[in-house]
Amino acid sequence: MQEATFLILTALAAETQHGYGIISDVAEISGGRVKLLAGTLYTALDRLRADGLIGVDREEIVDNRLRRYYRLTPAGEKRLADEAARLHAHATAALGRLNLNLNLNLAGGVA
Amino acid sequence: MSEPVLNGVNDSASLERGYRRLLAYYPRAFRRENEEEILAVLMACAPDGQTRPSFEATADLLKGAVRMRLRPRAGQPRTVFAAARLMWLGALAELGALITIIVTAGTVQSAIAHGDPAVASAAMTHLRADEIGAPFIIGVWLFLAWAIGRGRDAGRFAFTSFFLLITMSVILSLAQGGSAYAPADLIAGAAEWGIALAAVVLIFLPASNRYYRPAEPVLV
Repeated sequence: MQEATFLILTALAAETQHGYGIISDVAEISGGRVKLLAGTLYTALDRLRADGLIGVDREEIVDNRLRRYYRLTPAGEKRLADEAARLHAHATAALGRLNLNLNLNLAGGVA
Repeated sequence: MSEPVLNGVNDSASLERGYRRLLAYYPRAFRRENEEEILAVLMACAPDGQTRPSFEATADLLKGAVRMRLRPRAGQPRTVFAAARLMWLGALAELGALITIIVTAGTVQSAIAHGDPAVASAAMTHLRADEIGAPFIIGVWLFLAWAIGRGRDAGRFAFTSFFLLITMSVILSLAQGGSAYAPADLIAGAAEWGIALAAVVLIFLPASNRYYRPAEPVLV
């Protein structure tokens, strides 16, 4: 799963959001590192809708502009949970080994 | 007092026109579904006073348009999508053949002229015919790719006829030996034949049939 896709699903995990809301939320989740642009966002949303991972929750007209709210489907929740578990396992493994190496280096340094 | 506000309105109208021009590159179905919403997001993201889409936004929108155009249409089976892609490849192979013919025509002419002038003239007539015919064949490939992708049932049968024509042309060229055909031309012909065969198989698979002939509603 691409990082942008992962972050979009994460943005929708807790509550429904509209396009602009997803962009700001993704920026916040990633600590300002990932700035989604509209073209990237909507091609990703189109793919996620086609795959049944997200759906349209409702539409509103605000200041004469269409605002569509998206939500995660049960399939989307499962996909995000699986991906998060996978990334978590990898991250734990990486941190565990770094910690081990660090300890070994320290032990070597003392000896 | 009212002037800055008016300028602001003009700025945003001009910016919106710029974005709409870029969104025009997206497939129609995608625009119908998303254009107004994307526009709302684009306008919300744009800083005040901006009159034209930024370079970054332009590149991103064009990239998205290409990506959307490379995706299957809604409801299109993978087999049909693959067949249409193969047919674009067929057009590309024909274009390759055309370029090869144009680039090498002079060399071929002088090489054959050294041998037998009569053969040279026959070969050049053949090459000229190829040069004139190739753009037409490229057009047929592209038109049929479009029809097949849209689920036109007649397109399937038109393409099958086209495939038979390619088959005949390859057989004829093999029968004539290498005298009239440059090896590159023969290779392109064989490649197009293989591509067309694969596409014909794909569009007549059961998965594709459903796309061209949706099941009739059952009357109870």
